[in-house]
Amino acid sequence: MKNALLIFKKEIREIIKNKNIWLPIFIITIMFSIAMPLIFSLISGSIFEDEDTVNFMNKVFGNVDNPEMVFINFIIKQFLIFLLMIPAMVPSLIAPASVLMEKENNTLEPLLATPIKTRELLFGKALTAMIPAFVISTANFLILTLIFDIVMYNKMGYIPLPTAEWLVVAFILSPILSFLLTMISIIVSSKSTDIRSAQGIGSVIILPIYLIIGLQVAGFFLINITYLLLACLVFFAFCPILLRIAVRIFDRENILTKWKMKA
Amino acid sequence: MISVENLTKEFETVTAVKDISFDIDESEIFGFLGPNGAGKTTTIRMLSTLIGATSGKITIDGRDPAKDGSYIRSMIGLLTESPGLYEKISAYANLDYFSSFYDIPDEKRKKNIEKYLKMFGLWERREDLAGTYSKGMKQKLALCRALIHKPKILFLDEPTAGLDPASAHMVRNFIESLKQENITVFLCTHNLAEASSLSDRVCFIKQKIIRIATLSELQSHEKNKRVEIVFKQDASRYRNLLESIPGINSLNIMDNTASVFVENPESDNPGIIRRLINNDIDILYVNEIKASLEDIYLELIKDEETR
Repeated sequence: MKNALLIFKKEIREIIKNKNIWLPIFIITIMFSIAMPLIFSLISGSIFEDEDTVNFMNKVFGNVDNPEMVFINFIIKQFLIFLLMIPAMVPSLIAPASVLMEKENNTLEPLLATPIKTRELLFGKALTAMIPAFVISTANFLILTLIFDIVMYNKMGYIPLPTAEWLVVAFILSPILSFLLTMISIIVSSKSTDIRSAQGIGSVIILPIYLIIGLQVAGFFLINITYLLLACLVFFAFCPILLRIAVRIFDRENILTKWKMKA
Repeated sequence: MISVENLTKEFETVTAVKDISFDIDESEIFGFLGPNGAGKTTTIRMLSTLIGATSGKITIDGRDPAKDGSYIRSMIGLLTESPGLYEKISAYANLDYFSSFYDIPDEKRKKNIEKYLKMFGLWERREDLAGTYSKGMKQKLALCRALIHKPKILFLDEPTAGLDPASAHMVRNFIESLKQENITVFLCTHNLAEASSLSDRVCFIKQKIIRIATLSELQSHEKNKRVEIVFKQDASRYRNLLESIPGINSLNIMDNTASVFVENPESDNPGIIRRLINNDIDILYVNEIKASLEDIYLELIKDEETR
């Protein structure tokens, strides 16, 4: 554990210096957690004054007591699914950088010649991707919650967040998703010599999340607690499989003889 | 300190190392020589527990690498062919990071870092990013890293590659001084002069072991000894005569010097010189040239290829 933490500490220091990693994360945070809820909150007044929107809400939510509140909950669900991109995206940016940096500098062999165990090396790399993913996701959820609650309380005297779905996404689904994407990114990085291509493959892997976003925005379904718990179960089932593959890939001999290294 | 018995390593269809055996004593400098692809790096990797053997047995300090890998790695130092440094952190941070994986008290670790950085003349630039170092400085820093935990065995893969002559000389003196500290050195090099000046014994490898011996043993077992005859005039004038003298197995001529190869200089030289003098040829001097490690290496590799 001590050795894994040493790796984690060193890599975090390097990631902080690498703006190619933190800049996209920073932009996504500003966009999804601050800009989008603020814009929605600012224009929500005019939405409820627009005749077409009011007609639409009456048609869809006509049989409920407060259609405006139901509409806001609907919008929150849309935001919630957008926020799933963060725990998926952060590991797919950090993990390939962490592995490829070792390849570029040819540091794997001297590192493996120390008393470190390969599982500690894998654990250290996984922590490097997962802890920032968890911290950034949680921060995003908190920022979004705060902005939504303040604006909605001022406008409607109502605090919409957090909901049960919100808590499941923030504290169960996001960490599972981060773990999966970390393992996939590490597996992909072992076969790659170029950080851009590894991150490119990582961005392809998060395509299913875009698909879910698209399907929900298109109205094919609306996430609810059942769907979310089901997703948690399915994703969780993949965790041990991917962990096993990653552990096998992180075998000392495998790293030195089968990983694609930079010439 | 190191014992290897019938070690073989196969990679799918390729046999990198085949049935090699040797023993290395404590504080011995063991030169490991061979052409590219001979299995040198694979052997170092097996000995430093980085990869396993297909068959055969390795014992390091009485322990089995397959069972005590972590212990063995804590007592060895490895200088890899490429320096392998984190280029975006400082030289000091590189050493601090790598050394923190060993069980050394912080105070001692820091003292060791300072000691080796000063010894290799890098202390003043310790806070510079490793990426800004020259090739030679990187090599020195990698050597510091291999030594930082005071290993009992040091595996050196091309330790002076990329160093300027003064630095290479300093590193060689340092390697020699390791004997006094009872450190065993496994020296893998293409620099044959370096191997011959440093090694107690040398091992020639080309997948399998061709020969293990001290330099003097190798020289005494040389088939053909080289005798240099320096004439007053151009030596090519005497080519036909030299070729007709019994005992001379082969001949090289350059300017006024003829290098003749004989099996036994003590019995062959008097007859050769007598024949030349009888033909009124002026000889400036005659000298027996001991075979260099390079000559021996080339001959052994050539023999191996023709087999």
